[in-house]
Amino acid sequence: MSIIDLPVETETADRPESVWSKIRYHLGAHPLGSIGAAIMAVFVFCAVFADFISAYSPTATDATVRLLHPGAGHVLGTDQMGRDIFSRIIYGARISLAVGLGSTLLGSLFGVALGLTSGYVGGWVDLVIQRIIDVLQSVPLLVLALVMAAALGPALDNTIVAISIPLIPYTARVIRSNTLALREQPFVEAARAVGMSEFRIAVRHVLPNTIAPLIVIATAQLGASILTEASLSFLGLGVPEPHPSWGRMLSESAAEYVRTAPWLVIFPGVAISLAVFGTNLFGDALRDILDPRLRD
Amino acid sequence: MTLERCGALWGRAAYFRREARVGTYIIRRFFLMLLTLFGISLLIFTMLRLVPGNIADIVFNAAGMIDVAEKAKLEKELGLDRPIPVQYVEWVSGLARGDLGYSYVSEKPAIDEILPRIPITAKLAGLALLFAVTFGVPLGVISAVKQNTTLDYVLRVISLSGLSLPSFWLGLLILMAFVAYFGAIPIYTNPPKGFWNTLWLFSIPAMAVGFRSSALIMRLTRSSMLEVLRQDYIRTARAKGAPARTVNYRHALRNALLPVVTVIGIEAAFLMGGLIVTETVFNIPGVARFLVEAIRWRDYPIVQNLVMFVAVVAVSINFLIDLLYAVLDPRIRYAS
Amino acid sequence: MNTKLGALALVTFAFATLMFAQAGEPKHGGILRIYHRETPPSLSIHEEATFSVNTPAMGLYNNLVVYDQHKPQNSMGTIVPELADSWSASSDNLALTFRLHQGVKWHDGQPFTSKDVKCTFDLLQGKAKDKFRKNPRKDLFNNIVEVTTNGDFEVTLHLKRPQPSLIAMLASGYTPVYPCHVSPAQMRTNPIGTGPFKFVEFKQNESIKLAKNENYWKKGLPYLDGIEFTIISNRATAVLAFVAGKVDMTFPTEMTKALIADIKKQDATAICEIGPINVSTNLIVNRENPPFNNVEVRKAMALALDRKAFIDIIYQGAGDVGGTMLPPPEGVWGMPAELLKMIPGYGDVQKDREQARAIMTKLGYGSNNPLKIKVSTRNLASYRDPAVVLIDQLKTIYIDAELDPVESSQWFAKVARNDYSVGLNLTGNGIDDPDQAFYENYACGSERNYTHYCNKELEALFDKQSVETEVEKRKKMVWDIDKKLQEDVARPILMHARSGTCWKPYVKNMTIMSNSAYNGYRYEDVWLDK
Repeated sequence: MSIIDLPVETETADRPESVWSKIRYHLGAHPLGSIGAAIMAVFVFCAVFADFISAYSPTATDATVRLLHPGAGHVLGTDQMGRDIFSRIIYGARISLAVGLGSTLLGSLFGVALGLTSGYVGGWVDLVIQRIIDVLQSVPLLVLALVMAAALGPALDNTIVAISIPLIPYTARVIRSNTLALREQPFVEAARAVGMSEFRIAVRHVLPNTIAPLIVIATAQLGASILTEASLSFLGLGVPEPHPSWGRMLSESAAEYVRTAPWLVIFPGVAISLAVFGTNLFGDALRDILDPRLRD
Repeated sequence: MTLERCGALWGRAAYFRREARVGTYIIRRFFLMLLTLFGISLLIFTMLRLVPGNIADIVFNAAGMIDVAEKAKLEKELGLDRPIPVQYVEWVSGLARGDLGYSYVSEKPAIDEILPRIPITAKLAGLALLFAVTFGVPLGVISAVKQNTTLDYVLRVISLSGLSLPSFWLGLLILMAFVAYFGAIPIYTNPPKGFWNTLWLFSIPAMAVGFRSSALIMRLTRSSMLEVLRQDYIRTARAKGAPARTVNYRHALRNALLPVVTVIGIEAAFLMGGLIVTETVFNIPGVARFLVEAIRWRDYPIVQNLVMFVAVVAVSINFLIDLLYAVLDPRIRYAS
Repeated sequence: MNTKLGALALVTFAFATLMFAQAGEPKHGGILRIYHRETPPSLSIHEEATFSVNTPAMGLYNNLVVYDQHKPQNSMGTIVPELADSWSASSDNLALTFRLHQGVKWHDGQPFTSKDVKCTFDLLQGKAKDKFRKNPRKDLFNNIVEVTTNGDFEVTLHLKRPQPSLIAMLASGYTPVYPCHVSPAQMRTNPIGTGPFKFVEFKQNESIKLAKNENYWKKGLPYLDGIEFTIISNRATAVLAFVAGKVDMTFPTEMTKALIADIKKQDATAICEIGPINVSTNLIVNRENPPFNNVEVRKAMALALDRKAFIDIIYQGAGDVGGTMLPPPEGVWGMPAELLKMIPGYGDVQKDREQARAIMTKLGYGSNNPLKIKVSTRNLASYRDPAVVLIDQLKTIYIDAELDPVESSQWFAKVARNDYSVGLNLTGNGIDDPDQAFYENYACGSERNYTHYCNKELEALFDKQSVETEVEKRKKMVWDIDKKLQEDVARPILMHARSGTCWKPYVKNMTIMSNSAYNGYRYEDVWLDK
């Protein structure tokens, strides 16, 4: 019998369990991260199943139940128009998630495109794109989002675009530096030698290796975009009525009742903080797992 | 000429080449900085023009009517009817001369509106950064040195919450607490007189703004410190029997602080967002709140020049830090 | 013994009387601190149309005649002289002559003469060389043919036709007298008036400061050394500032019922008043484009409105249902309740909504096939909140509406080009007067007639009531017109708000007007008991 005939059952026997046990291991090794993941899961659940969780419509006004204390019937109380706050927070998760995910995805998309092109092509294209990234990074996040939101007008999709723009630079930078490193790898040379087009090499071979840090950055930016949306709504821009946005629940009309009905102000703020907290915890743990070099 | 002498001359020449490299590095960075500023001016200019409505619209809107002829006249007066590239060139050439134009709203020179408000925001920002560094750095060091203990976890959770709380919410809660428990309120209604009054008025909003920055700095100090503590030379120092304190503070901290200094530069730009909302909540008449108001009024001269000012400050800080890095860290010089 | 006692009693009595008199005696000095809700667009009253300007600026000027600042209900009977010592009308009521006070000086020392009055009206009518940049009330003075002066202290307004309401317009806070020798541009940034207070500074987004006019022509006035308006746009912060004593008074008409309750809890000594402000929340309806070009759809919408719900939700019950004119008792010209009930939409809500649903079903709409529209409104909370309630109410008659918030800078342009179906609007009436309300908002071709409503028959009625001098007869005509406007769904009036002002107890002689938010800010005899 030659060595080649030796069975390889040991490997195949382990494989069906390895993914699950890997997850279990990470959950134990990163308790904070697990908590973060759990929080995020709760919010995603609320956003998806909002119709089933909330007893009231988030936009139904009712003069007879204005400003009720949290209690039976209305778990978190009602606001100045008689709308149930719990329902508004649950549906608000949808908005925050939509804005957060939307702007992060959009920002990442452009960031990856810019970073990849810049790193791979090099030369004056790189110089120009680097300047664009510099410019986008030098204008403060909120100011850029503010002017963009003012330019586009108050609407959900406009808010997503407005917040995505300031998120582009950081992603682009990281992708670019990764691309620069990968560009010199031998497998790229090999692919070129075989006759693959530069575009294919960039997209099919270099890009997948840069995705790992992207996930980490994206989770951090998710939190930042939720906060930016809240600030924009607080300043009067952002997602308009009647979409229940957590940020807007904290601004103008509600702020009047900051002492007579503090639950109007406390709960949306807690929702924002918790959501961002969860994404940050999760993002931290992800960073520790996937790429220790990226730690802050 | 012996070989040794050749070697010495070669070494001498290399020294001058190194110096020249630092020089070129600085010049290149300076030129790139100018290019970035040019890009920013283009960006803010075009974006403002994209925002629907101009000062004429706002001014007439306040009167509840639109008089088309008068509106056209106003636009002509302010130069808004000229082609956009012409307007851009006019603005930039004015900037170069030091002429910032006139505010559309108050009809006073823009510089008279911007300049007096800068010290107010500067005080707030300075105090916020001071607070952030004073709390962030020591707590980050402690967290790193006591890694994975309960203290570390607690500190990490607190710092993370600093990054998660919306700063205007925090400000609102602080105001509520103050009125509820002290009856007094740190709101700006008149310019404060004297050092202690100023401190009292600005320190609470500064803490609201600085909380977030302190969290960032704490986390960065911690990870940077952890990184350094793993290095070989630290292990060597420990093996040599140096006391923990010396190892931590003399060797590790000094090296760990380098990236933190970079971040403070970047933080200056992020600070602006917190400043905007905090100045609104605490009613502080600084440039941040003024910027939001100017955007609402479509007061182009104010918005453009103010954003340029903030950008210049941010870019200059980063440039100086790059310089500092180049001088301190030889690897950077050779890399370029 | 008796004489001594008597003498003691006399002295005590005299002393007590003196003390009592002193307690009521206004004290000179002190600065009144008020918070302002936003940066006013300028301080030139003639060029602006919001009481954000009147409140800080009215103290700078004087009118020819003015509403008595201490009678809350403005009416013909409360018009008192100011720069005009007396006035009289010609027998045919086509000429109004004013005899002006002598010895009045502008803030820069120049003497006030009849020429200044002529200059003011020339500016208003666009006849002067210099022009106002904005002239929102130009049309109100269309009836003036010309203004003539007779010496330095007499001026006559010549009218096309008799107009009893003209004097009411002159008494409004909106009609100060401007100087000839100062350009309209300067009046925007550095205004000069004859009023009890002089302009000191206006720091955008920060504060407006006025100082006592030492040479005010009414001797002994003003009592205050100055007035300071601190601009605090965040209402929560502003209320906290008032409670903590950083300002002496809230911005007039900004306090809601809930805020007042909160303030009273924190500071029981604060004096708060809620009253009508003559600002109506209404709907502008685009009658030229679908779907509201169909009179049936308009009618259905009018029937669906539950006005009480609006008032309860938005103002916690502090509001009144009415037509165009402010309802009684504070409003002089409002329709009485019995008349209101007869208008479709003002009666039983359930029955009206059933009727509306029947109309909509006949037109082919139903709960599975709703009419989709957009409710446009300015992107401000005071506009958005009622719009949200409206959208909710329209659901009951198969209308599925979406909110379309429009940036303030775009609002009037959008409305002007008819780019909306229905909009939620706030209309502030400078004076409680039918001429002002009808002509400004419903006359064909008027600038502020946003819906382009044009009804020649009704306009003839406008003119008829405008010349009527007998008040009771005129009231009936006004009611008739008002009823017709509501039935025609010209501009459905949702509610007339009631809003409040609070001030500290040491602010004396403060009177809040009950039927206008634009006329009560002269402040010349307000004093601080500190």
